[in-house]
Amino acid sequence: MSDNKKLDSKGSEATAPEGYTYSRRRFVEGIGVVVGMVALGTVPALLSAQAPLVVASGNGSEPEGGDVLDYILEEDHAVNYPGKPVSYADPAGSEKWAMVIDVKACVGCRRCVYACVEENNIGRNSGFTYIQVLEMELGKVDIEHANLEYEEAGSPDKWYMPVQCMQCAKPTCVYGCPVIATWKEPDGIVVIDYDKCIACRNCLVTCPYDARHFNWVEPEVPEDERNPDVPLEEKAGVVEKCTFCIQRTRNGGTTACTEACPVGARTFGDLSDPESAVSILLKTRRVWRLKEEYGNEPMIWYVG
Amino acid sequence: MALVTTPRPGVKRFISVDFDLGALRTAGTRYWAFVTILLVGLTLGGLAWGNAMTQGGAAMAMRDAYPWGLWFTNYMYYVGLAAGGLVVYASVHLFGAEQFRPLSRLAVLLAGVFVMMALLGIITDMERPWRAVWMLLTPNPTSPFVYTGSAATLYMIVAFFDLWLLFTGKGGEKLAFRMTLIALPLAIYMHTTTAFVLSMNKSRELWNSAMMVPIFLTSATASGVAVLLIAAYILQHFGILKLTAKMFRSLSTLLATVIIIDLFMLFVEILSIFWPTSAKPGHTMRFSEFLTGRYAFAFVPVLVLGVTAFILLSRRSTRHLPRVQITASALYVIAVFMKRYSLMSMGFAINPLGQYAPPYAPSLTEGLLAIGILSLGMLIVTVSAKVLPLAVPEDEYGHGEALESGRLEPIADGATESG
Repeated sequence: MSDNKKLDSKGSEATAPEGYTYSRRRFVEGIGVVVGMVALGTVPALLSAQAPLVVASGNGSEPEGGDVLDYILEEDHAVNYPGKPVSYADPAGSEKWAMVIDVKACVGCRRCVYACVEENNIGRNSGFTYIQVLEMELGKVDIEHANLEYEEAGSPDKWYMPVQCMQCAKPTCVYGCPVIATWKEPDGIVVIDYDKCIACRNCLVTCPYDARHFNWVEPEVPEDERNPDVPLEEKAGVVEKCTFCIQRTRNGGTTACTEACPVGARTFGDLSDPESAVSILLKTRRVWRLKEEYGNEPMIWYVG
Repeated sequence: MALVTTPRPGVKRFISVDFDLGALRTAGTRYWAFVTILLVGLTLGGLAWGNAMTQGGAAMAMRDAYPWGLWFTNYMYYVGLAAGGLVVYASVHLFGAEQFRPLSRLAVLLAGVFVMMALLGIITDMERPWRAVWMLLTPNPTSPFVYTGSAATLYMIVAFFDLWLLFTGKGGEKLAFRMTLIALPLAIYMHTTTAFVLSMNKSRELWNSAMMVPIFLTSATASGVAVLLIAAYILQHFGILKLTAKMFRSLSTLLATVIIIDLFMLFVEILSIFWPTSAKPGHTMRFSEFLTGRYAFAFVPVLVLGVTAFILLSRRSTRHLPRVQITASALYVIAVFMKRYSLMSMGFAINPLGQYAPPYAPSLTEGLLAIGILSLGMLIVTVSAKVLPLAVPEDEYGHGEALESGRLEPIADGATESG
């Protein structure tokens, strides 16, 4: 039986036209091509995933006798930065922006939300806000059962946690954008190029904080309420999100939400300055970050 | 090889392929009625696209809670359906599965058309389609979208080039074999990267599992083989292809095998989600929606239809019946669509901040767009069935040496028996 098979296969090899045969070698070659293609495909991804680490170790030697928070700054650097600032803002300075939110103080009044909507020309009909305040039961950080739609703020049986774009040091949204229409600027602010966004919404999918929002409709802002410092046109069909009020903070101001908070729960500042309020808070208080285990390295800390 | 014949009237030769336009003139009323229906579907799709372009996202049922909708379900689905064709085509050239040779041209045509439909879904969803050029100019290597998009585009080109090679016989068996060596890895690569679009998201617990990749591969192959089996029966019914019962039995055995692997992997995934030592609350509560929650209507049928299809295909007494094979295939084609839909929408239904959204249903515009794309794909296949030489000439069966060595029986004999 097996002899016959051997003979047959030999016979067919001998008569095969144009040297065409099935062979194990060909098959192995095929497998080789599979592995090769997959490997080729993943190389750039691996390289770019490694790249930040290389940059980080290069920067590590720069600050001498530095601050205890320097290790955070080392992780926070520009990602996919095209070399020129985003069209609607001034170039970044040398700061590293960060925010600390005191959830013990927060009463859930949503004044930060409203101030943000007005400051950033968010469409009144758009159905989203950059800041979302979660109302949660006492006793745990249970996001899965958090309430966004609460009617009455300040309930003593609940606690409140505002969530917005965390300007992550490892922004999954920036990694996920197929066309580099969003990037992290040298001062840590993650921005979106509205003229380049292809509306694939992959950044909405990759963001663990639900911080990105798509303009499904033409954003409508009453003429007299428009902020001339923030782009409004051409926003339909692109993604937008919190920019740490880039139009204010890069000109010496603070964010609208920080300004609006009636209880002073928000502290905004420059993390690269060891004497700034945020730096001092991080050094003197015990802080935590939302979904720390995801490794996004958010630049908003919570303190309670 | 090919006999020199005087071309029949109405046969136009273009890029070395004989387009039998005369066949359209002799086509019956039923054929034209079907084409008319497809043209209506295509027109509706065109109008819907016009509407989507003028109104933008407002015309869609998608919102921040469901950033992707029917277009993405269909992208995954069509890319998957394209797999079957290639698996069959590759098994002819790579593994010597000669019984599938009569199907090879149809298989490759379907593969190309399905991927084209998948890509059209993306283009019609974009509010500014011209910005797609950025995918070529500044691709981001860390985005799975770049890989799946380029793989699909490449795959479509390779499939249509392959089809042309099959029609013209250029390069002979040797080139056909080498094309398989490109096309098969490319197909695996395409399905893998499509799964990556979902699985490479730590923000979405439901998808963030490496098991997504093999499940995508098997679902794709199973649904692809099933749809090919149905298409083959249809073309045989209209006398365009001559196929044997033996070939269909091989195809349905392949289908049953892939279905059971597919179901097995789904089973172990479910097990790891609910096992007390591995269950993570976020993952468990999301998956529970599939079994008992608001997405049960879409996911429970996946399991029921899948198991039914497998049982139909494995019962010894009935599995050779065309009726049974077609039913089982249809069940699995539907099951995989439901799976794609529920996987996509349930992944969004509870957002990263734990907020629920009611189940996603496409808007009229989205639905008509999908119908338009489906009509276009079916129109291409319908016209091709008449115009293009989809039937593999019998002198190519076993391509000579196999016949001589007497290892394989010529399939043509069986074809006349069953017909």
